[in-house]
Amino acid sequence: MKKILAVLLTLALLAALVPAALADNGTYTTYYAGEVSTLNYLVSSTENDQVVGANIVDTLVEYNTYGEVIPCLAESWENSEDGLTWTFHLRKGVKWYDCFGEEKAELTAADFVSGLKYVLTPAYESAIVSNVFTAQIVNAEAYYNGEVTDFDQVGVKAADDYTLVYTLANPVPYFVSMTTYGSFMPVYGPLAEELGASLGVDNQSIYYSGAYILETFEPQSERLYVKNQNYWDADNVFIEKIDQLYNAESATLSPIAALRGEVDYAALDNDIMDDWRANHAELITQSRSNLQYSYFYCFDFDPQYEEEYEPANWLIAVNNANFRHSIMSAMDRTYALTAETDTPEALLENTITPPAFASVNGKDFSTLPAFANIDQYFYNPEKALEYKAKAVDELTAAGAKFPIKLVMTYKTNDSDWANQVQLQKSQLESVLGTDYIDVVLYAGPADNFLSMTRRAGKYSMQRCNWGADYADPETWTDPFEINIDSETGKYQGNSYNKMDKMYDTDYAETKAFLDAYYAKVKEAKAETSDIEKRYNLFAEAEAMLIENAIIIPFRKSTTDYQVTKIDVYEGEYAPFGICNLKYKFMHLQDEFVTAEQNEQSYKAWVDSMEKK
Amino acid sequence: MLKYLAKRVARSLLTLFFILTIVFVLVRQMPIEGYFPNFEKMTPSQIENGLHQMGLDQPMTVQLANFYKGLLHGDLGVSRVYNRGKPVWDILKTKIPISIQLGSLSILFSMLVGLPMGIHMAQRKGKLPDHLGTAFIVLIQAVPAAVYYLFIQLYGTELMQIKLRFDPGDWRSWILPVLSLSLGNIAYYAMWIRRYMVDESTKDYVQLARIKGCNGSRIMFRHIFRNAFVPMAQYLPTSFLNTVIGSIYIESLWSIKGMGGLLVDVIHKQDNNMILGIVLLFACVGIIGLILGDVLMVLFDPRISFTKKGGDGA
Repeated sequence: MKKILAVLLTLALLAALVPAALADNGTYTTYYAGEVSTLNYLVSSTENDQVVGANIVDTLVEYNTYGEVIPCLAESWENSEDGLTWTFHLRKGVKWYDCFGEEKAELTAADFVSGLKYVLTPAYESAIVSNVFTAQIVNAEAYYNGEVTDFDQVGVKAADDYTLVYTLANPVPYFVSMTTYGSFMPVYGPLAEELGASLGVDNQSIYYSGAYILETFEPQSERLYVKNQNYWDADNVFIEKIDQLYNAESATLSPIAALRGEVDYAALDNDIMDDWRANHAELITQSRSNLQYSYFYCFDFDPQYEEEYEPANWLIAVNNANFRHSIMSAMDRTYALTAETDTPEALLENTITPPAFASVNGKDFSTLPAFANIDQYFYNPEKALEYKAKAVDELTAAGAKFPIKLVMTYKTNDSDWANQVQLQKSQLESVLGTDYIDVVLYAGPADNFLSMTRRAGKYSMQRCNWGADYADPETWTDPFEINIDSETGKYQGNSYNKMDKMYDTDYAETKAFLDAYYAKVKEAKAETSDIEKRYNLFAEAEAMLIENAIIIPFRKSTTDYQVTKIDVYEGEYAPFGICNLKYKFMHLQDEFVTAEQNEQSYKAWVDSMEKK
Repeated sequence: MLKYLAKRVARSLLTLFFILTIVFVLVRQMPIEGYFPNFEKMTPSQIENGLHQMGLDQPMTVQLANFYKGLLHGDLGVSRVYNRGKPVWDILKTKIPISIQLGSLSILFSMLVGLPMGIHMAQRKGKLPDHLGTAFIVLIQAVPAAVYYLFIQLYGTELMQIKLRFDPGDWRSWILPVLSLSLGNIAYYAMWIRRYMVDESTKDYVQLARIKGCNGSRIMFRHIFRNAFVPMAQYLPTSFLNTVIGSIYIESLWSIKGMGGLLVDVIHKQDNNMILGIVLLFACVGIIGLILGDVLMVLFDPRISFTKKGGDGA
């Protein structure tokens, strides 16, 4: 009897503990430093603004914590055999509410049409309209440019209240993933008509159909989200309130506020990590890695910097494959990464497309056959010297002078980056010798950095990055895309590294490479029915960039150190779109997540991902 | 006096015109990429449309004309980035009172503490109070303000058991930001009033008053202090009006939603209408402050005249 009682008491205790550990109500309080410029999710491209939209209005589909597409506002969807028509069947009974929680109308297919019309109206200056063009919606770009004036000719229709149909000009295999962007979100049509450009100026000039309602919005003061009790998926919304308090110095003050119990989350800057490791190591956790961005090194094929750094000499060198390979083989990327992280191996990538971004028939894109021997092109000091010897002969014959000046840029207010280029300078020069290269470090301005460096051609080699726009490897070819003027048929130099400008030069080797590369990309884009073949073609194109040392892959997005009361592995996981900004599915704990708990969650998540 | 003021106002309007025009032209020299956070992924037609919506595709003279036309109708335009779509004046009018409140409290507190402190130091010149006051002034001027601002916030909030972030609903929340903002001004007022009073106390009229047997306090306050305060009075209107500008660091540190840091923020964001609106406000504050300062000096010291030129013939 006593034993039974003891067991029952233990069970009761455990049962009492679990709800306490995973509170189904409570307020998640944080500081934020960057105020949103607008609540209008149809116009803004910054993640800072999109966090609002992600939590107040839903998309057609969303993602689970394993990156798998799951129904959201659309219960089901299908596409026609030719891939040109996509039909989404909407969930019934979803309602629009105002910031006071008052029901305004039912959400119907017409609201998606209204949303797209708003995005395609030039006067509203949507920064995300290009997503609609990428999705190749019929007549979308023509309507935006004024060539088509009747919106009924644009490829979006509400067949009935709960059936939404998109018509595409060409098949787009990744179309469903594109619907997770703001440009494809619904808006209550009459409100958008009435307010026009004033939509989303404050929390009263927008309607809500998502997990949360923005009850309070005081710019530079507070944003208070409250759970939408009538949300169609309210059972999966566990945090009752999210209270975001403005603090311009939140980077400095959040950690202290967290220890005092004033906030439930704080990012931990590298500068304070030593102190935290010494005193609060058990509370340090890491954010989930973000596959949305990939970092790589570009060589500049159109240097425009000052004469003292010898741009003409650089141009001769960069068009020599052995020279580029010598740099690539000499670069110890792991060593360079130590400036940014304690775990460089975890961030390093050997492809431009991040691992786990896409897979086909169970095979990750970064492990496709085209990349089988890609490792041989990376850090190898002996090979670097072999390439150097060949490059010296060839470049001397071509009229180049040594040492070749290599201008390496970094952002002046990014201390990690500044440290990194210092490491790289000393490392490259020690392997290759200062008789061969002279690495010149150039600090670009904090503001308009890209305008003053990469876009202006004021670099020889620069760390660049690109963010995925959709769930297809094609997205990673976009920075190297070449624009052809439809009237003249001539190319317009547009690639990140201006390599396409070499078409106007006598560098035959580079031009031959460009022909082969762009032909491969074209072939890959044209393949829209056999996805495995499509992915393999893109892999071959990407491998060409690496094998010819045009691009040096570097790393994934860094993870941040943090202290938080939320388990990051509960939330949605998507390398594009806005779904990973949602608080849905997440629980607020009474205590901070411990390092051990974070590690366990990470392992469980990785195990599950590998099984899928 | 009225003629003088009318001339000053006319000259000030011309100054304002030059300031606004120069800033207007300068901000439009910024790279166009700064207007578009998503520049890399925008199509040429998107960029063209964006520039058209901002009016930046027009010739500069047309843009200027449109700006002044709007200004004369009281229209400062709308914010494009900071608070998209919201009229510039609507944004500013919510922030100005907060900065004025914080700044005014700070000035009042600074004067209530700094002036008596300076007077006491002058009266006890060379003695312990003077040395202690000097040590305080040196410390405040030598230590970067950001250091003691943070120090006060971290330890003061812990001591007072209040939140790190400013809470308008809690009156105690005002104490530390006002104190932080005041320390520099306390040191300033104390230092200068002490100096001016010491200078005045060596003058002949003071010696004469002492010989005639005037009471020490009467000499100190009716004569020395009054004359010593004249140079400081000139800057009082400017000081109060400058509270509109706000304190960049204090308001950021405490999350007080005033004007502080706003100009820097909107320049970073290339929000042209906000930049011009704030520059207009600051320029007006500066100009009005200078005019009022001159008027105050005349009120304090009847020997000063706007119409007569040359030195004092007293």
